[in-house]
Amino acid sequence: MNRDQLVERLKAIVGPGAVFSRPADLLVYEYDGSVDGAVETAAPTAVVLPGNTAEVAEVVRLARAANLPVVARGAGTGLSGGAVPQNGGIIIALTRMNSVIEIDREDRTALVEPGVINLELSEQTLPLGYFFAPDPSSQRACTIGGNVAENSGGPHCLKYGVTSNHILGLEVVLPDGSIVWTGGRSPGTAGYDLTGAMVGSEGMLGIVTRALVRLTPTPDVTLVLLAAFPDIETASQATSQIIAAGIVPAALEMMDNLTIQAVEPAYHAGYPMDAGAVLLIEIDGIEDDVLSTGEEIAGICHTAGATEVRSATEKDERDLLWKGRKMALAAMGRLSPNYYLHDTVVPRSKLPATLKRVEEISQDFDLPIANVFHAGDGNLHPLMLFDRRKPGDTERVLLASKEIISYCVEVGGALSGEHGIGTEKRGYMTLVYTADDLAAMAGLKNSFDPSGLFNPEKVFPKGYMCGEVRALRMQAMAQKHGIYAL
Amino acid sequence: MHSDFLIPQTIDGVAVGEHVVPQTAEETAAILADASRLGQAVIPVGGGTSLALGNPPRGADLALSTRALSQVIDYEPTDLVLSVGAGARFGDVQAVLGEHGQRLPLDPAGGNDATIGGLIATARWGPLRHSAGTLRDLLIGIAVAHPSGTVSKAGGMVVKNVTGYDMPRLYHGSLGTLGVITSANFKVLPRPRAEATLVTEYASSAEAFETATRIRDSGGPVVAALEIDDGNHWLLATRIEGRDRTVRAIAERLAGLAGPGLALEQDESAAWWQRYVASLDPATAHENVTIRFGIRPRATSALVEGLAPVLAALNTRVTALGATPAVGSVLVRLEVRDGSAARLAEVQRVAVDLAESATILAAPPGWKQGLDVWGASPAGLVVMTEIREQFDPRRTLNPGRFAGFL
Repeated sequence: MNRDQLVERLKAIVGPGAVFSRPADLLVYEYDGSVDGAVETAAPTAVVLPGNTAEVAEVVRLARAANLPVVARGAGTGLSGGAVPQNGGIIIALTRMNSVIEIDREDRTALVEPGVINLELSEQTLPLGYFFAPDPSSQRACTIGGNVAENSGGPHCLKYGVTSNHILGLEVVLPDGSIVWTGGRSPGTAGYDLTGAMVGSEGMLGIVTRALVRLTPTPDVTLVLLAAFPDIETASQATSQIIAAGIVPAALEMMDNLTIQAVEPAYHAGYPMDAGAVLLIEIDGIEDDVLSTGEEIAGICHTAGATEVRSATEKDERDLLWKGRKMALAAMGRLSPNYYLHDTVVPRSKLPATLKRVEEISQDFDLPIANVFHAGDGNLHPLMLFDRRKPGDTERVLLASKEIISYCVEVGGALSGEHGIGTEKRGYMTLVYTADDLAAMAGLKNSFDPSGLFNPEKVFPKGYMCGEVRALRMQAMAQKHGIYAL
Repeated sequence: MHSDFLIPQTIDGVAVGEHVVPQTAEETAAILADASRLGQAVIPVGGGTSLALGNPPRGADLALSTRALSQVIDYEPTDLVLSVGAGARFGDVQAVLGEHGQRLPLDPAGGNDATIGGLIATARWGPLRHSAGTLRDLLIGIAVAHPSGTVSKAGGMVVKNVTGYDMPRLYHGSLGTLGVITSANFKVLPRPRAEATLVTEYASSAEAFETATRIRDSGGPVVAALEIDDGNHWLLATRIEGRDRTVRAIAERLAGLAGPGLALEQDESAAWWQRYVASLDPATAHENVTIRFGIRPRATSALVEGLAPVLAALNTRVTALGATPAVGSVLVRLEVRDGSAARLAEVQRVAVDLAESATILAAPPGWKQGLDVWGASPAGLVVMTEIREQFDPRRTLNPGRFAGFL
């Protein structure tokens, strides 16, 4: 089948208006939210926008017959290159499948198509008294399908948990073109937890065509505290002390002085410009509880050395305090033309030492680094500020990244808390996992997708999943089991 | 802090050959590899509180106890994370956490004597699932010994992690068919500072469920569990957890919604739930059958109402019933008159039509012959079979016991 024939066949499945194949139309699909230079790109052969599950399944069967890789894509806001094709092939963009099919107040669930935008689901359910808890910073644009693929987090997952905790069931198109439902509305589904295995699998096991998600009741009262500290260390100590006191706030975010310098002039959120760091702490629940917890947290912050603690209960005030945090990445343009960030996680008690090390790395590489991150989870977001037009800048950023990642792993951390591995961080996987650890993950991949059709060249280190390596592994396993007739 | 449980002579009526007690994860993997090579069947055993779960195994050459893998490997109270050997007794782990005012919010039947590995492998839960979910949501890392002779790890000691596939969730509820869990890491939570329970009584199940719904809609996040129990009457028990003042405020609100009842505080409240959970423990069912129904939460009331006449028509008697309405979980203990394999099959045929799932948690071994206690063959069985094939191609671990006779 040549390219023209393929395009004709695709048009026959999804309609002529839902297939892109001209180079100019494909260009945008070579990118996602990740940084050029950190992620390699390759043009897809074609992009299709199916309108329903049956069309997705048929496109997958066609791709299989043509032996072309398939990459699923939502809004393309991912930061690890997960939706960027590495070997060309067909991109299945799910943005047209964007219906909220059902909202069930009694069961507190919503049945949605994968292209529904994260924030739009909450906007639809808020009048009924519910919200969809995962709230990644890209929530105005990112899709639920993408959230499932990446197991997205966000500020409020400190209390409410990551995407995986909010997915009850999935309709999935498998690499063989079959359609299967995992999980469901009721507990105790028999067999392996395929829903749990699917969430966070970065589009490598199946393509989600419907998701049954949990809705969370909106709290009675919400309180936001802004605590200013002289430096980042006292702010991180206060963070550790809040957690250690047995308080789990809804969100606990930190911004350092460099971030404040970018954000405050842009949004006038009211962050003290001279603060070394600020903590944004949200507590929610019933009124009594929220107020007394707020007092306790304010006390801990003062004892830890806070220069100022302010609180806001009214929605407008709270939104303003949050605006600086939510728009922080957008404000970075005021400081430098480009930024690159990682999202390593460290044990919460290791935050002060880790932030100190980040500061050293910033000096060593002569690279400004702004820190704006989910302190309560220990999930860092060091933003390295650079200018990609300057020769050597991108290289310096990548070297500094390596230093940061290595340190975080050394203190018992993880490569990624919410952005995923994709192609960006696959080279680092062997820092945290042994060959045996990766073999177990490969076992899961092989059971869904033995021919490696879906989203190739992601998560596993380069060369790991290629045919020869797999054949060797199979041979070794067979011998171990006394089977020699391969 | 290991379990004192002794390995039984039979598993669901199948005689156990040898007992092995590996001292390390690596030794566990080596034993599995040897067994796999020799074509032997291995039954992993923790605290022995849930051995009645599953289909009778196709063999039981080796019973592998995790009792020696019982150390607290790492506990950082200030980080709220714990790493513990799979053979650690749940009650002992809770005691260690309790010293620092922390806990794992889980209250399954037989819980204290169960091991951490066993609780993960059997995906057990109790009434607290209403507010706290299951161990699935708290598991942040795991180590597993496989029949390939390797030990694999996944996740870590941080509370948020998307480094690679979410393997811990795959192992949760896999009944040891993909490997023997040797250690697990958890996100732990602060122990609530106060608790209270209100037990109220109603003439009909419908009235109890309506009240439960009213409470749930008004209650916010501190209503920890709602249970309906018909030991003799229709009882509704509501547990509140939180800070002192909050618990008192909610308890007052509750009394207005649920009517007068038995109000219990602190230790008395906790003790009530312990007794209640124990009363429904499948392991103590003996000649009875325990079935767990799963249904969408809004249909729980209708299921409970519809159960009694259907089961009575089958010449069985409900001896205990507990429901967690917000979860959609109903546990029923049944006396099956003239019990036999054919009679249990007859009950199961009816049960699977009543709800979305009906799992026989416990029944006399002789009655289980020929039926799949997990109910109808699960959606996705083809992929599940492939997963089993990848991790345990020779069906060394718990052969035949899992859903779809995997």
